[in-house]
Amino acid sequence: MIPLSHIIIFSLIIFTIGMVGALSRRNVFIVLMSIELMLNAVNIALIGVSSAMGNLIGQVLAIFIITVAAGEAAVGLAIVVALYRNRLTVNVDAINLLKW
Amino acid sequence: MMINAWDVVFFFLAGLILLSALGVVFIRHPVYSALSLLANLCVTAILYLSLMGAPFIAMVQIIVYAGAIMVFFLFVIMLMNLSKGEYQERAVPWRLLLGLGAAALFAFQIFILAGEWRGVLSPGAGGFGVKALSHFIFTRYILAFELVSVLIFVAALGAVALAKKKL
Repeated sequence: MIPLSHIIIFSLIIFTIGMVGALSRRNVFIVLMSIELMLNAVNIALIGVSSAMGNLIGQVLAIFIITVAAGEAAVGLAIVVALYRNRLTVNVDAINLLKW
Repeated sequence: MMINAWDVVFFFLAGLILLSALGVVFIRHPVYSALSLLANLCVTAILYLSLMGAPFIAMVQIIVYAGAIMVFFLFVIMLMNLSKGEYQERAVPWRLLLGLGAAALFAFQIFILAGEWRGVLSPGAGGFGVKALSHFIFTRYILAFELVSVLIFVAALGAVALAKKKL
């Protein structure tokens, strides 16, 4: 018997770690991987709630999230490849053409 | 206070997931960071399988996340073939501040959540099989399923178009 609140707090911790990574790292690969980490934290929470409530809606949502994560990784990495070809950098600080 | 076996399993898996998540964020080299994320996803799959009664999601996690997405990440990282100077980051002075902000946000969320979520997970009870899940997806969520397939198709097309030589 594991209380659901443990799962929710655990998933919040993982989400916060992912958020710190996405905001503080400058390498674009690690930013993308931190986003995957946050999506994974949401999956943990959804499946935990689904398991505790005894219905399947959370699992269905988790499958959709995994699909969207796959699409996001594909497009994100294609953008990284195109950026590296044009700017020769993977540092997000150096990619600031649209910033100001 | 009685400690039962499932608690031990949960804390063990949670510790492993937490360590590998910290590894993703704090390891300097992107390849080792990606391998840490791979470990994270695999242990998460074990968590789904053992405690949450979601065998199908666990398999999808292994096949899609660990098998497809992470291999894709590693492939692109190794394709770039970065030299040491290129992934070296300069230290951000406000990183500590950012960490404190995230911790504050986390504490705030815990404060909001305290007293909510009264359910319990009972791991031994056996979960839902693939049959029940697919029945759900192909009757009630059929529209979302079709739309997601369109989305993934468009994402694949977009990835090919973006990575073409002449942009």
